Amino acid sequence: MSEFVTRFEGRCWTFGANIPTDALVKSAYVFDPMEEIVKHVLEDHNPRFPLEVQPGDIVVAGHHFGQSSGRAIAAKALKATGIGCVVSNAFSRTFYRNVFEIGLPSLEVPDATDLVDDGDHVVVDIAEGLFRNETRGVERRVPSASPFLLRMLEAGGLIALTQSDPNWAEAARA
Amino acid sequence: MNLVEKILARASGRESVSAGDVVVAEVDRLVMHDLSAYLTGKVYDERVGVDLPYPDRVVTVFDHHFSPPTEHQADVLNRNREWARRRGTQLFDCGSGNIHNVLVQHGLALPGQIVVGSDSHTPVHGAVGALAVALGNDSHAGTVMPFGKAWFRVPELIQIELTGELRPGTTPRDVALWLVKELGEGSVIYKALEFTGPFIKGLDFWDRWLFPVLCVDLGAKCGYIEPDEVTRAFVESLPNGSVDRLVNGDGDPVEDVRRFDVGDLPPQVAAPPTVGNVHPVDDVVGTPVQWAELGGHGGGRLEDFILAAKVLRGRRIHPDVKLNLVPGNREVFRQALELGIVADLHEAGGTWFPPSTGSNQTANMGAMSAGEAMISTHSRNFPGRNGSTEASMYLASALTVAASAVAGRIADPRRYVSEGNPHE
Repeated sequence: MSEFVTRFEGRCWTFGANIPTDALVKSAYVFDPMEEIVKHVLEDHNPRFPLEVQPGDIVVAGHHFGQSSGRAIAAKALKATGIGCVVSNAFSRTFYRNVFEIGLPSLEVPDATDLVDDGDHVVVDIAEGLFRNETRGVERRVPSASPFLLRMLEAGGLIALTQSDPNWAEAARA
Repeated sequence: MNLVEKILARASGRESVSAGDVVVAEVDRLVMHDLSAYLTGKVYDERVGVDLPYPDRVVTVFDHHFSPPTEHQADVLNRNREWARRRGTQLFDCGSGNIHNVLVQHGLALPGQIVVGSDSHTPVHGAVGALAVALGNDSHAGTVMPFGKAWFRVPELIQIELTGELRPGTTPRDVALWLVKELGEGSVIYKALEFTGPFIKGLDFWDRWLFPVLCVDLGAKCGYIEPDEVTRAFVESLPNGSVDRLVNGDGDPVEDVRRFDVGDLPPQVAAPPTVGNVHPVDDVVGTPVQWAELGGHGGGRLEDFILAAKVLRGRRIHPDVKLNLVPGNREVFRQALELGIVADLHEAGGTWFPPSTGSNQTANMGAMSAGEAMISTHSRNFPGRNGSTEASMYLASALTVAASAVAGRIADPRRYVSEGNPHE
């Protein structure tokens, strides 16, 4: 297994509040191959994003990001853009489950969108609970996710965890 | 412990659990619709693939399609049928109804059970006193199907206490719409909501149904109504209905209680672009509508057709309006038939559609052109969800939908209720 990376650094793309999963993957695209789906991720909110996003970039989104449908393909499509991690003031709860289950690193920072402008250079450490905007010189310390969820991420997602650890159900007790 | 904690403790083999704990619990039911079943089945076959130990626990309802309009959609449905046959899971095919109305009507979501599903409105089954939570496909494919289990974080509880008696023309659906505005979209992320108070306790089962369905819009994990005599009577009327596993909370004091008096509430309408953009009907009266629909997660109940018939019996809908009538399940249609409502609404100019989720996501019907508007009992009004991003979806009660269908524009149902109906 490759090293578990928990620190990310890159250009940030900012998005507003209450963005639904429909904006990540429209219903019309859900049956398309991922190569096609990924060309349209968040295009209604920033048409440049799917065209210009670079590997390791960081998405910073407002309150209740990924609301509406619980379909994991919305998180998978965001991961497929190659971003390093996603930060939100607060994720919708199904989206929060899904990012860990599909292996996309994430961090909740209650005022994240107040701290960044689109294009700023940011540093995120999901294990330490660190969010820093290098461009503006501001940072926040927040609680990291539960150990069970970090373990899931380290394994590469929920399915990978259950297949690599026969005692996965006990892991939650730890 | 409260109801959610008791159910999670029992299903995870623990003495007790408390808010913040992460537990792995036994799941009683997984429900998927025609879109989510396809994606989940694909992930399962590609990455898991073992025989399902509990195939009976998995239920698929084709509700976005009652008759596929394209070859591609027909292929998707056929792959779902083939998957269900191969894996031995339960399938309700086209024409059965809305996913959740079908599940509960067949006694497949019961008090005390843990019900999970991909559909974001799965928490509606808290209406029977189940712990019902929407999960993602990878939970379903990765743990629910192969192990019969899922992981949960135990949520904090908020009580929503409603009092007051509604005035004529205002319905429980108006209260539900209004609550989303009052509490705020995404305002209670991860929380469990207990709907309580004399107003809730005084409602029949199918009117209680309208409250836990709001959880997704509020951001809540789940919602429920403590099972009582109303719940028992409803469950015992169902095929396979059983209250053997019914659980009640201990009634411990709850720190966060939100109290609302709904007695003076006028009829409410959620205008685009989101479900929290709720206004008293007066604010939007006169807005032209070309479509009106009774169906979806917030409608399609027998109660909705009974209310609509109060307005429409002996009247005709406006010539510019098409009124879609979409029963939530086959039982609703049978009962509407017996009550004469099928004929009444037909005579009024409405069109009956097969039991399904109707215009939800426009899979089978309900696309609008730029500039068109629909008023409906659906639960979503994001622009672009029903065709053009320049079309508008307004969400309202069955009374307001019916009154608007007659007027050709959004109308205040109180006028139609207080005038009475000369033909009744």
